[in-house]
This record gives sequence, C-alpha cells and structure tokens, in this order.
Amino acid sequence: MAQTVNVIEIENVVKRYESGQGVVEALKGVDFHARHGEMVTIIGPSGSGKSTLLNMIGLLDTPTEGTVHLDGTDVTDFTEDELTEERRSKLGFVFQAFHLLPMLTAVENVELPSRWDTSVDRRDRAVDLLERVGLGDRTTHTPEELSGGQRQRVAIARALINKPDVVLADEPTGNLDQDTSDTVLTELTRLKDDEGVAIVAVTHDEQLLEYTDRVVELIDGRIQS
Amino acid sequence: MTRLGLLRRFPSVEIAWQNLGRNRARTGLATLGVIIGVVAIVSLGMAGAAIQQQANTNLGSLTNEVSVSSGADSDEDGVTDGQVDDIRSVVVDADVVPQKSNATTLSTRSGERTRVTVSGVTRADVLYETSAGVAPERLRSGALLSADTAAELGLELGDPVEYDGTLYRLRGFIESDEGFGPGGDELVLPVSALSEQEHYDTVTVVAEDGNAATDIADTLEAEFNDEDEEILSVTSFAGTQEDINSFLGTLNLALLGIGLISLVVASVAILNIMLMSTIERRGEIGVLRAVGIRRGEVLRMILAEAAFLGIIGGLVGSVLSLGAGLVLFDVLTGDPMLVFGWESVRYLFYGFGFAVFASVVSGLYPAWKAANDPPVEALRG
Repeated sequence: MAQTVNVIEIENVVKRYESGQGVVEALKGVDFHARHGEMVTIIGPSGSGKSTLLNMIGLLDTPTEGTVHLDGTDVTDFTEDELTEERRSKLGFVFQAFHLLPMLTAVENVELPSRWDTSVDRRDRAVDLLERVGLGDRTTHTPEELSGGQRQRVAIARALINKPDVVLADEPTGNLDQDTSDTVLTELTRLKDDEGVAIVAVTHDEQLLEYTDRVVELIDGRIQS
Repeated sequence: MTRLGLLRRFPSVEIAWQNLGRNRARTGLATLGVIIGVVAIVSLGMAGAAIQQQANTNLGSLTNEVSVSSGADSDEDGVTDGQVDDIRSVVVDADVVPQKSNATTLSTRSGERTRVTVSGVTRADVLYETSAGVAPERLRSGALLSADTAAELGLELGDPVEYDGTLYRLRGFIESDEGFGPGGDELVLPVSALSEQEHYDTVTVVAEDGNAATDIADTLEAEFNDEDEEILSVTSFAGTQEDINSFLGTLNLALLGIGLISLVVASVAILNIMLMSTIERRGEIGVLRAVGIRRGEVLRMILAEAAFLGIIGGLVGSVLSLGAGLVLFDVLTGDPMLVFGWESVRYLFYGFGFAVFASVVSGLYPAWKAANDPPVEALRG
C-alpha cells in the first residue's frame, strides 16, 4: 500500500531551454510528488513537457527554478557527480526502446548498473530478478535472441538491481503489443506492491492507466487539476 | 572463467573488451593501422641497428690503429729508423710496428700465378690474426700468406714461397677480413726480406682502443709536425668511425621518424574510429550514465577500448617486426640471431610502448567527450 511519505517531491519547477527560436519554457511551475508503493502516470500531448518532467524526477536534468527532493534530501543543487550517485543508489530506469547493451547477455544487462560495485555479489540477485520476471531460462541470451516483451522485462529487472526507491518508466509499453504490455504492467504492479517502490510512468497508452494509482495530466508545461 | 574472473574485477576493461567484439571489422582495421605503424618503427629501427652493427664489424680492426707514413715535407722517402725510435719514445702503452711494403708475383710449379702485396714486419702477431698456423712474435725466417691466396695457389703450411731469391716456409695463414683492414692478397715476411729498402713505408701503432688511438695520433702530430710542415703523415681511423657512427645515428633517427609518421597516422585512425564509435553509441552511453555509471567509469571504459587496440596492434606488430628483423639481420649482417641483441631488440619495446601510448592519447578526446555528454542529451541520441 502507498505510504504517506513522499519519496520524490518537486515544487514549483520551471525549466527553460535556449533553442533556435529563442527561449522555450518547457515546464512553467510544476508541483509533483510520488509516495512509496504508488504508481503515478503522467499523461499529456506531445510537447507538453512530460519527458522534461520525467528527466527532472530522474535527476537527468536540473530545473531552472524550483526544488527537487529525493527521499527527503534536497538534490536541486547537486553536482553531476552527486546526481550520478543518487541515480545509482535510488533510481531505476525503464525506457521505451529498452536500451539493453547488445553484446551483453540478459543477466549481464541486469547487473550492469551495479557492475562497478565489485564488493556486491550482484550475479545471484540478477538471476533472481530475471526469475521473478519469468526469464529464469533466458539468463544467457543476448537481447537480439529475446522478444520485445522479454527485453522490456530484462530492462525492468535491470531497473531493480540496485533496490531503488523510484522506478521511472518512459513509455514502457510503447513498443509492445497488448498481451505483452499486460505482462509488463502486471510486473510493475507487483513491484510497487511487494517492494514499496514508487513508479512514475510517462505514457500515451490507455491500457497503462488501468494499472495506475494516480494520473497527472500535463498540458503546455502546467499540471491540469 | 579465469579470464572473465580476472576481468570482472575491472568492469571498465571487461566492458571495453566486449565492446571491441561488437564490430570486428572496425576493430580489425584500427588494429591493422597500429600493426603497420609498429612494424614500420621497429623494422626501420632494426635496419638502422643492423647497418650500424655491420659498419662496426667492418671497421672494428682498424679503429684502434694509428698509421704513420712519411709526410709531404719530409726529406726522406719513408720513415727512418731514427723516427721509429722517436715514435717509440713518445708512445707508451701501445705496440709500434714498422713495416716495409712491396709487391711481387707468386707462382706455383703447376703454373698458377697471383700478384700479392709483400709486407715486411718485425711484429707479425700484433697486426695479423691467423686462421691456421701461428703468427710468431718475431717473424725471422717464416712467412704468412692470406688464406684465400693460399687456397687459390694450393699452398699448405710448411710449403716454401720464394721472394727475391730467398725461400720462406709458410708458418700461418692470415684470416681473410671482409672489411677495410689489412687483407686481400698479402704475403708477410720478416723485415729483413725487404732490406734493400732503407726506410719503412708505414709504422702502425696499435693502441688499446679508439680513444687511445686518437690521443696517440694527436701526440704524434704535435711531436713531429707543425702548422707549416708535415714531416710524418699521421692517420687515425677512430675519428673516421666516430664520423660514420654519427652519420648512422642521424640515419637511424631519420628512419625512426618515418616509422613514427606511420604510427601518427595510425593514431589518427584510432581517434577517428573511437570518435565514430562513441558517437554511434551515444544513446547507449547515455543509458549507462542514466543508470548511475560514473563519468570516470565511462572514461576508463573508452580509454580501455583504445588501449586494447594499441596492445593488440603492438603485440601483433612486434611479432611481425621480429620476423622482419630476422630477415633484415640475415641479409645485412649474415647472422639473423644478432637481432636479439639489445641494440635492435629494444625497438620492439619502443614500438609496443609507442603503440599503446599513441592509442591511449587518441582515445582521450573521444573518452572525455563521451563521459561529459549530459545524459539527457545523450539519451535523445
């Protein structure tokens, strides 16, 4: 169940870009939060600032104005190296295009984020995670030997290797058919229920909304309430 | 498992290794560039070493000798007994061997004839090395003959040769020397055999080494000659060797320079390939950065890829160069095994070292660029 503590909290965030046509304001004062064990879906038309917001939540980008709190810590003014550490220890990512490394096997892809922590025995956990997403018999397959749904489940397992507080999913079902999407979404739901992970997804997919706890609509850089 | 087990402790290196396997053709071409560069540097360096070695072998017997003959302003037509005594009094720690020269034709009973130089010396052992028989300290009644000449005429040790009406028994054969030193068809007799010549043609001073020879030459020059008058002509070959060595050193540098250019070309190719490869994998590197891989770890990964290209190219290049070196030394000096001397084998280490160094330097910019690409930009691809 969702707890009351906000694991991610964004207040009054503005993001401006320099672009060819002058300054573009992608986010115009956005507030957003997610709790442990909660799945929040961000929807909105193209160019509404969904991806920019997800990048803020994922600590991949920094706001022009406003604050970002992760797990109670103000990370707004963190350096790139400090943000990397936060992503490494507290966040997991699932991308629309899966983004698995082609030369690595499924289990190697899963353990990739913690590959540089030589002290951790990550192989057992990686195999365990693959078994949980139903790929226990595919651990030594490379991505091109796996179907789209299987690849996305490998990506989900990869997002969980570091026991994250938040998993960010950018169009996680965007490249999948309906049945496969169901499997992936069931997996994400189980994840938030069993592990208390907060899931923040961006999607156009109506199907995904059936699984979500809360929907946030973004239009032209503002949250619609 | 053991290879992977070791590699697993260095994740950047392990992933770099796996990355190289992704595009074998590109990896192969980059490595080929390094191989060519290494082979160019090493084989040109070895060629220089082989030439130098051969030059030293040829000059070897001459460099510690000073040759003295009658100078342009001398009243005599040779070096007099008095002057020999003077030389002996000035020169210490060196053998002074006065020598008279002539020429004659040797013939055998079967009618074979050959023209030889005749040298009359007192101390044959100082100037000549024998391949058979002995060069006695005092040559009184015997003779030495070039081994080649003896073979040509079918002469053996103990056989008599006639010069100026006197018979001399062959006591030894002079080793034939391919270099510039005493050699060729030469008959060596006691100095008394040429007693009709009043003066000596040359006086050879044999010193410890090249430096001592140069000192002796300077001393003799100062003792007998001044600016206007050359009583004795003093020639030392040590200076010649220095000149030749200095020239060969320059030649060697020029050869290495040419080799270095090809390695520079190879490292530009690596720069290009690494840059292309990192641009191609931009999204992938963005994912690595997004999931928490540190900038330094990405940097090390790309550098390790470049280093691998250098190491593989360097190793293969060194092995090929060693083969080329064996052939070079066989052709230039006649002994392929001389390639294992430090003077030439060191180029293997230089070539390998330069290859790894150049590759890592070429990898620096692409690695830095990849590591510092903002992940959000990189993810957009």
